[in-house]
Amino acid sequence: MGPERGKEPAGPSRESCTDPYLRCAFHGAALTALGVSGSALLAHSPQGCEYLVNNAFAAQECDYMETMTVCTKLCVDEIVHGGEEILARTIREVKGLPISALFVVSACGPEIVGDDIVAVCESLQPEVKFRLVPIASPGFKGSQYDGIDIALDTIVKRLVAEGGKKVPGSVCLVAPHANANPTWPADLAWVKQTLSRMGIPVVATLTHRTPLSEIEHAASAETTLVLSHDAGQKAADSLAAAFGMEQVCKGIPLPIGMTNTQRWLAALGERFDARKPADEMVSEGERMVTATCRRKWPMSRFLYRTPAAIVADATVGIPLVRFVTEEMEMTPELVALYSSARPVRELLERELGSLGLTPKVVYGTDVYRTRQSLREVMPRVVFGSTIERHASEGIPVTYVVEVVRMMRQFRMINREYFGYTGILNLFECVQNEWTMAWRSKEKRYRAKW
Amino acid sequence: MENGSIEFHGNLRQLLSKVESGEMIPKLQASHAPMCKFFTAYYVISGIRHVVPLVHGPTGCPLYMSDFVRTRECCEIRGIPLEPTACTTLDESNVIYGGEGKLLEAVKEAYAKYHPDLIVILSCCCSGIIGDDVESIAREAEKLVGCRVLALRSEGFGGDFRSGYEDAFKLIMDLMDPPKTTMKGTINILGARWGPSPTEFNWDLDEIERLLREIGIKVNAVIAGGCTVEQIRHAREVELNASWCYDWGQKLGDLMQERFGIPYSRTGQPYGPSATKEWLLGVAAPLGMQENAEEVIEREMREVEPDLAYLNEALSGKTAIIEISEFPGPIRALSLARMAEEFGAHPVVINVHPYTIKERMPSIKYILETGVNPEIILTKGLFRLGSFRSSKETEDELEAIVREYDNPIFFGNSGRFPPCPVVNLTFMNPAFQPHYGFRGIKNLAALVRQGLENKDLPRSRLFKGMLYGTGTR
Repeated sequence: MGPERGKEPAGPSRESCTDPYLRCAFHGAALTALGVSGSALLAHSPQGCEYLVNNAFAAQECDYMETMTVCTKLCVDEIVHGGEEILARTIREVKGLPISALFVVSACGPEIVGDDIVAVCESLQPEVKFRLVPIASPGFKGSQYDGIDIALDTIVKRLVAEGGKKVPGSVCLVAPHANANPTWPADLAWVKQTLSRMGIPVVATLTHRTPLSEIEHAASAETTLVLSHDAGQKAADSLAAAFGMEQVCKGIPLPIGMTNTQRWLAALGERFDARKPADEMVSEGERMVTATCRRKWPMSRFLYRTPAAIVADATVGIPLVRFVTEEMEMTPELVALYSSARPVRELLERELGSLGLTPKVVYGTDVYRTRQSLREVMPRVVFGSTIERHASEGIPVTYVVEVVRMMRQFRMINREYFGYTGILNLFECVQNEWTMAWRSKEKRYRAKW
Repeated sequence: MENGSIEFHGNLRQLLSKVESGEMIPKLQASHAPMCKFFTAYYVISGIRHVVPLVHGPTGCPLYMSDFVRTRECCEIRGIPLEPTACTTLDESNVIYGGEGKLLEAVKEAYAKYHPDLIVILSCCCSGIIGDDVESIAREAEKLVGCRVLALRSEGFGGDFRSGYEDAFKLIMDLMDPPKTTMKGTINILGARWGPSPTEFNWDLDEIERLLREIGIKVNAVIAGGCTVEQIRHAREVELNASWCYDWGQKLGDLMQERFGIPYSRTGQPYGPSATKEWLLGVAAPLGMQENAEEVIEREMREVEPDLAYLNEALSGKTAIIEISEFPGPIRALSLARMAEEFGAHPVVINVHPYTIKERMPSIKYILETGVNPEIILTKGLFRLGSFRSSKETEDELEAIVREYDNPIFFGNSGRFPPCPVVNLTFMNPAFQPHYGFRGIKNLAALVRQGLENKDLPRSRLFKGMLYGTGTR
């Protein structure tokens, strides 16, 4: 185990100059709105912000045959004289779309000049057949996680209907999209499959391919289950306050790795009186993972107590700490998380304490702080993104295992990190990197043929 | 042409006139959003080595660019080291009280952290609207750090995508020192960017540089395609400026000619034998190296004789339908139209969007001056709500148009399914790059051959269904 390293001051960096990992609140709001199926998104913004919407579109796996995004393409005139008129005109242009809701998401420009998107939406509502849902989420409001929370707040307040009959033993899933696994819908699918096996009905998912009708009935759920450590907690709190929905698995790391999965399933089994199926899933899953490893031989077993770094969001990063330490038997000596919220700090510190680890911890990291930390700690393995692959140039890092925000590797099939197959998927990431690291950088001779 | 889906049918000159008079400006506010000024300015600035683009705004603007331009396109694809993209991360409080103090601190921090050769402050919507004086901060900050600090007003709402490129190129001129000498036989290549714009790739630049080397011409800097601040400082010592793409180099070339008296070689893109010869002679002749150039051209022409013969035979008498909505850029499509005509085909350019004509007006006028004035068709699908890329409407319209021409051959990409041979010019397939110069002739001949010889092979129902829906055949 490495020496005790000072933790950096809690909270985001106070530096004036950062090289951020996280996008802005506008992006987070768009990402959330695009999770509502049968809807469209209108970016009230200059045309560049439409590219952030496109990115969110891809992250929510929208289909351009089904979901349309449009933009008011604000120019100097609208910044000087206001853009409400052009917003109204654009809403009228799309009023023939066969959708149930149009999310109007405003960016920095119109929010600073004071465009009242709520008033525009209210005045045009009688003219259109779909719901107009204004979300004021300019980039300067914070990170993409703040944007997710802003959009979820709007959705809860404007779209969730009151007075519905509760569905016994049911859940509402919150913020599955606040997850840096680039194929996070597989994590969501695993959760749904698991809940189904335990007989726990899912009333609504906020948000991924969620019809408006499902959102309207979200308050029928007895409980909420937040699927992110980075966002969604505020929505869970609002749902609790407004509709008495109890949050389950609160304060437990998400189910990545054997111990985390076992703990998470046990908590669900306990709450929903489904201990038997939970126990069965644990024993089946552990047997399957162990047997598969026996047949496939994960090379990560050779990395016993190799110093490792984890650079990720809290959703993947915090559960990885235990997985890397226990199942993979490496030693995390650096944990750098994109988030810095208090619950994130508390959860990580509990995990580190319980494992007896004292790595260097960086909250709200940026690319510069990550590189500096890698230089200081000199881990041999980094679990992170493509950025760390390049940011570790010149540092003797042997393996960069790309598990979040990958750009080099491509997945046509979504792969979960949650649950038991998730363990194998993570082993596979290590395995592929292990092979690459062995490959000679130079060809020493040419073949004759 | 009897086709109810045609919005405009005429030639390039007539289309230009309609755009100039405001008759052909798209009316739908919601459709077609190209990049904003900030993005395009970033593209250019990120093409200078050891620069810190310091974005004065929230994180969304820089992160989109740093993810896609820096990490994916530069690091992953082109093997460039990870360079910083710094940001002041403006928050609500900065928006209310101003962010100038934070910006000044950020410049100092950026210098201390990254030791750059240059810092360029890029303003975006937030800092632009609240009125932060980025130029004054840059001047002030420059006194406190050991490198040049420049500022560019690049608010997304502040101009079309083209203005970001042009203003950034103009800003770069501030780095150019008065000449102490003249570098004989040396040029700058203007108008490049590192960014992932599908209009430019290294292969084309490599071909141009190869041919220049053969002639004996040296390149001081490719501005801004991986050039250093030092090279930019010496940019006024060259004998001539040239551009690998008339469109992007034109503004900087004209300005450097006007302000510094450095001649600018006005030539089109080197697509096909005539344009390639013109390009090389346009550079070599002013440098007094015409003879060398002619020798190189003769040698290279001999190398591609079989390809030229094939292209003449294959294209003569055909109608070359060139589609722009799926092709990497209207200027390249027009260059290709010229090449098709050179090989005896009749070019018909489809769906060059009026906004691209509007934003490339000087280049379009230059192309017309050189005698290129192809037939143009714009379809109604181009003006429908939403993105025109891969739209079912424009696909159906294209298929209908192709049926109305004799002996058609389609130049575009494989995302289209017209009932005729398809020449796949996508830049997503590096197997047949470059398109410029003599090596380009070989590649284009190979692509035409693939299109013609395989025209009867079945097309992919899978890809067509993916692009246009499963209801299509």
